[in-house]
Amino acid sequence: MGWGQWEQPVLGTGHKYYLQFTTEDYKTRENVGTCLAIVFYLERKPTPTVNIKCTYTKDQKEVQEDDQRFYQKLRQQTKPIIGSYIPDSYGNIEPAFESAWALAVVGSSYIMWEKSTENLGYFMAQVKHVKQWISKDDSIDFDYAVLLHEIPTQEMILCHMRVIWIPNHPLKVKYFCSSENQSAESEDVSAVLVYEDDSENEENFPFRTA
Amino acid sequence: MSLSKNHGYDTNSGDMPFKYVYTHSLEPEFHSLFLILHKIYHWMYQIKESNRELVTQHYLGTTYEKRPMYYLKISQPTNKAKKIIWMDCGIHAIEWISPAFCQWFVKEILQNYRTDPKISSFLQNLDLYILPVLNIDGYIYSWTTARLWRKSRSSHMNGTCFGTDLNRNFNSSWGGVGTSHNCSSSTYCGPAVESEPETKAVARLIENRKSDILCFLTIHSFGQLILSPYGYTKEPASNHQELVDVAQKAATAPKQKHGTNFTVGPASSVLYQNSGSSRDWAHMIGIPFSYMLEL
Repeated sequence: MGWGQWEQPVLGTGHKYYLQFTTEDYKTRENVGTCLAIVFYLERKPTPTVNIKCTYTKDQKEVQEDDQRFYQKLRQQTKPIIGSYIPDSYGNIEPAFESAWALAVVGSSYIMWEKSTENLGYFMAQVKHVKQWISKDDSIDFDYAVLLHEIPTQEMILCHMRVIWIPNHPLKVKYFCSSENQSAESEDVSAVLVYEDDSENEENFPFRTA
Repeated sequence: MSLSKNHGYDTNSGDMPFKYVYTHSLEPEFHSLFLILHKIYHWMYQIKESNRELVTQHYLGTTYEKRPMYYLKISQPTNKAKKIIWMDCGIHAIEWISPAFCQWFVKEILQNYRTDPKISSFLQNLDLYILPVLNIDGYIYSWTTARLWRKSRSSHMNGTCFGTDLNRNFNSSWGGVGTSHNCSSSTYCGPAVESEPETKAVARLIENRKSDILCFLTIHSFGQLILSPYGYTKEPASNHQELVDVAQKAATAPKQKHGTNFTVGPASSVLYQNSGSSRDWAHMIGIPFSYMLEL
């Protein structure tokens, strides 16, 4: 939620943006923190340098406890979470898929961080497919196909993403994205009513070896 | 697959032209086609029939796939000439909340105009023209085939490429910034300005009635924004301050009722630059208040 932003053209080298914004919990919408940032886009370089300072409403301990709760919820799965089209066509997320969806948001934010430029931004529109792998070690392990809505081109970008996480460690995200063009209809044929469980289809999960 | 006449509609008056129901309804695509055509046309028919004193249905034009476009006129019969507020929904197929909003809006007006003094007061002075689904072909396609479809369903490049972004097809710096000339792009502006029958249908009516139209509203999702002209340029509109003041007043309503924040401002600064939008065009031909709402 930005409330202050101004831009300063830096002659001959790029654009510098000064930002003030609050962040909110993606699900509960409660205020999580306030940040001041300077984002500097060097000419011809898509990735900016970022100087950011935030104050958080929760302290480190509370955050770790939140993470633990989330982790335990996922580790308690007796059956791996497998699903498609989350949210559904009407915008609903079934409770059973909320955690998987939330993790997809976090993983997608890594992709979006790397893909976005001064003129291109993203939003995670939908989890097309998700498959959890129950790992022998302690990690949380998910394969995803996610749809990223690209602004302002309005394209839907399909990204295959593997997310591995253990609490108190940074997320491990492997991904590749292709452009799910408006003219490529085959992907979308069963988008509305027939939610085929495509999770058995190996093509959806290219990060697994057979 | 057999087609049978849909009984119960007055096909002679020409106001219920959707005569055919697919009886071969085993496939989910056909089932959802029936459902969505029902949602659009039958809903309008019922609203008009049960509110004859206030509502009339009018033919606007035809879509690429030859479907009729209708708008509803909500008007309290009086002797005085009234200004018009135009509202269209569903120009982008993917934005399902938009046609739902138009339908909800019509229902709210019709249920409350007798008892709500604000509503009955503005109906004394204003007529409402509501187009519940502008991009009918695309909307149907998003229900039956591809949920994330945005554009119309016109055919390009010998049937290898489909759809024009109708909100890039109007005569407001058409083909300029924020559009694509590539037919496979989601923001394809079309082969020419007003090339799409849906665009022509809307533009024709608005152009004809422009001296009576006080306000042009076009409903999208999402973002909680009230956007004034222009998108094609950062130059302010001639009545920029007035546009912003009115929009700020509008934004206080959901804020007070639900705590929802709507951001107000010109499209080129609040959202992104785009050319060929209906919002820009309406203002450019002289309609004083023109807004694009992102719900």
